[in-house]
Amino acid sequence: MSAWSAVYGIVARDLTRTTRQTSRLLGGIARPFMWLLLVGTGYNAIARLEGGLPYQVYVFPGVIAMAALFGGTLTAVSTVYDREFGMLRLMLASPAGPAAVLLGRVLAASMVGILQGGVVLAVAPLVLPVTGERWLLALGALAAVAGMSATLGLLVAARLRSVENFAGIINVILFPLLFLSGALYPTGGMPPALRAVARVNPVTYGVDLLRHAFGQPGEFALPTDLAVVLGVMIVGFAAGTLLFDPEQRFTARGARRPSDPASA
Amino acid sequence: MTEPPAIACEGLGRDYGPIRALDALDLVVSRGSLVGVLGPNGAGKTTAMLLLATLLAPDRGAARIFGHDVTGDRAAVRRRLGLLFQETSVDGLLTVRENLLFAARLAGMGGRLARAAVADAIERGGLGAHSNRPARELSGGWRRLADIARATLHRPDLLILDEPTVGLDPEHREMIWSILDRERREHATTILFSTHYLTEAEPADRVVLLAAGRVVAQDAPDRLRAGLGEEMADIDGPGAERLARALRGLGAARTIFRTGRGFRVGLVGPREPVVELAGGAPDVTRFALRPVSLEDVYFASTRGADEPAEPVPA
Repeated sequence: MSAWSAVYGIVARDLTRTTRQTSRLLGGIARPFMWLLLVGTGYNAIARLEGGLPYQVYVFPGVIAMAALFGGTLTAVSTVYDREFGMLRLMLASPAGPAAVLLGRVLAASMVGILQGGVVLAVAPLVLPVTGERWLLALGALAAVAGMSATLGLLVAARLRSVENFAGIINVILFPLLFLSGALYPTGGMPPALRAVARVNPVTYGVDLLRHAFGQPGEFALPTDLAVVLGVMIVGFAAGTLLFDPEQRFTARGARRPSDPASA
Repeated sequence: MTEPPAIACEGLGRDYGPIRALDALDLVVSRGSLVGVLGPNGAGKTTAMLLLATLLAPDRGAARIFGHDVTGDRAAVRRRLGLLFQETSVDGLLTVRENLLFAARLAGMGGRLARAAVADAIERGGLGAHSNRPARELSGGWRRLADIARATLHRPDLLILDEPTVGLDPEHREMIWSILDRERREHATTILFSTHYLTEAEPADRVVLLAAGRVVAQDAPDRLRAGLGEEMADIDGPGAERLARALRGLGAARTIFRTGRGFRVGLVGPREPVVELAGGAPDVTRFALRPVSLEDVYFASTRGADEPAEPVPA
């Protein structure tokens, strides 16, 4: 009971914080629309895709994945902020323990990813034909991608001690995850080495899952997509729990004093 | 069956690489006690508190909080703890009430119980007028009071407070200590705190002085003060060392130690010969007699361990 109260408290706090940072929230919602409208309109005229799909239709599931990926991972910055300002220490010292803290953060970040992707999903009928059933399937796929993204973001945030470092590192990680996922263009046309990277990129399977949901041809079988996305979430969560453990908190025991403000 | 002590640690220590942050802390604190941990920056105070709060694993020794091992039974330890660290931990984007509600949920409270605890904490902390304001709009003093309200909201049995009043004006310091006194009075809460404001440690049942990771003195403030002498003489000026030596020769000096400005001499015995000697001492710009303070104990103990005082030949 107490652990669930803690999880609920963390989710409520993180969502309240998110809604009060309106520029960040609106920026997250605007990003996929910019791609869809500005890049999508231009590419519509020049892109020739297999099956004759207009580029905007092709890219739509990818743009939803983009919104979930950015929303889910970037929300992890609040974990770094909390560590920098001492709040995380108090959370970890609560009776709920590190797993509950991590679960609360993953759920909150997932909800932000779902919210940002959901706004894009809401305009689906303006871009491509979508039934109610497909829409619900896409919502489920979006939730899975957002959950995976949140877990990945928290894995990155688990050991970082400054917001500046997180901002620098997450961009280096996010862009390859997005551009080598088939979200914005098919991976089939990439050089073999990049295609191999795309195959081990978990976001590739999330994008593919969303394509299946919209009835577009997928690169992998649906069970494969689901297994990879859920598997990454579970393994990432387990790894995150270890990384968040306060006894492991000062990595490489001896690396720094607890009061040392220097960042990782 | 008697209740185990609030804190019992033996040889507790932790290193950061080659740095021995805390050597071996031996400490037994009975329930309801007020214990001050003093020492210079880097003495090991925060490390000791993190170890007791289950946030660091010890490299040596063992510690038990109300009988629960800090490494083997962390969840049970955490249920008894209220923590406050040097940095403020209220979220500036949330109101004070929202911050406290978050703390209540983190402590495992839900629904009505959490709301009642928050209302009570707001009332006890005198935060009523500020409860619906975003914490970022509050002054440092009120933010710290919100911190105290958060740390005490779930009525912990042991409060570990790392410099609870750092950077605050006397009025807010007073408010914080009155809240903590009330916690002790009404709930027999044990309080372990660190501070650089030595007068705050005067009412403590016990003071632990740390320097360079080692305990250099540990006792009730009265006994620590008495150990230095009956009275303290502050002696400044080029002739201070000569006068200190002369006082030792007179048999009136129990302790002599150097500070940044001059010498302090802990005196015993009759006052008149001391005053007479000081009156005729050349090159002494200041000679003042006063009661022995905890600051004297601090200098006498910590300079000896961290930065050896220059010996004064008899």
